[in-house]
Amino acid sequence: MDLRTVRLQTERLLLRPPAMEDVDAWARLAADEETMRHLGGVQPRTVAWRNFAFAVGSWHLQGFYGFSVIEKASGNWIGRVGPLQPEGWPGTEVGWTLAREFWGRGYAFEAATAAIDWAFDHLRWNEVIHCIDDDNQVSMAVATKLGSRKLRTAQMPAPYEKMVVDVWGQSRDEWLARARERSSTTERNSTTKDTKDTKEKQVQG
Amino acid sequence: MNPAAIRIETPRLILRPTAPEDFESWAAFMADADASKFVGGPQLRPVAWRGFLSMAGAWAIQGYAMFSVIEKSSGRWVGRLGPWVPEGWPGKEVSWGLVRSAWGKGYATEGATAAIDWAFDTLGWSEVIHCIAPDNTPSQAVAQRLGSRPLRTTNLPPPFESMIVDVWGQTREEWHTHRARVAS
Repeated sequence: MDLRTVRLQTERLLLRPPAMEDVDAWARLAADEETMRHLGGVQPRTVAWRNFAFAVGSWHLQGFYGFSVIEKASGNWIGRVGPLQPEGWPGTEVGWTLAREFWGRGYAFEAATAAIDWAFDHLRWNEVIHCIDDDNQVSMAVATKLGSRKLRTAQMPAPYEKMVVDVWGQSRDEWLARARERSSTTERNSTTKDTKDTKEKQVQG
Repeated sequence: MNPAAIRIETPRLILRPTAPEDFESWAAFMADADASKFVGGPQLRPVAWRGFLSMAGAWAIQGYAMFSVIEKSSGRWVGRLGPWVPEGWPGKEVSWGLVRSAWGKGYATEGATAAIDWAFDTLGWSEVIHCIAPDNTPSQAVAQRLGSRPLRTTNLPPPFESMIVDVWGQTREEWHTHRARVAS
């Protein structure tokens, strides 16, 4: 797979594998206390760089990892959203982490929807999960909106072995059924699209 | 330059970028308390996975990183060595770490010689360093054989900030002087 050809488009966002030009924005996100509160805490730049290299390496050797999410209107890197399954992970996850200044615009839901479609279509996953801290209300709201539900709890693998998370998720069949429902709703509501988009805006991360 | 096309041969070794089939051997290497003693200590498999893919990612974003070392006679993965310059590193390193069964054969010197040639000739470095723990006498011997000398002592950047290492090294000009002797 030529990674340069992997690009997902949504109405407001572009999703593509991480590229070297993203590393500064990635490191800034990793240094933000509030964003990293549910992700093992802040990381010095040298650690963030290693994790960035890990993300790039996952794309090259495993064929997937979180996408870099670019806001089309500004060209800004706003975070990472997408499929991940590192060694020992409690399942096939689609996760989302956005820089704080881009919260509250429905971006996590918009990007995760595209990433879940891709995971089911291209990676042929049977299930998608989201590992969420039990006090991360913002991400739970995103998961709920995606149609996922709390399935179980799990201990994360090292180096995060101290973290116990709620595993949210849904099956491929559940997602596809919801996608069919969504597309028929979109057809019915195509004349009132602007109203619908406004309603979809909510607090999330 | 496409990293996948890079391949260096020495008399007994093949050096090539990290490939997916190397992971089992990499994980076993990182789990071995003796072999990993001077590279941060033994790692659980999920942690080794992250380090392994960070190496692959460094190849992709920097165009160089440590090579996987393949023993020609057996085809097996015997370690990783070569250029390693993660963010915040104290210099441009050529590093080496081999599985225990490959120790004592001169492989580290043989592989590092080829990697240092590549760093100076292809990457255009002007100096090479090796970060070596003060009690790692086998690696100090390799560094000496390569013609490097202790330059200074430093802390490594996070996540290895608790490690204090001796920085050994030499310049490109010194390497050109040493090269003929090392190869013989």
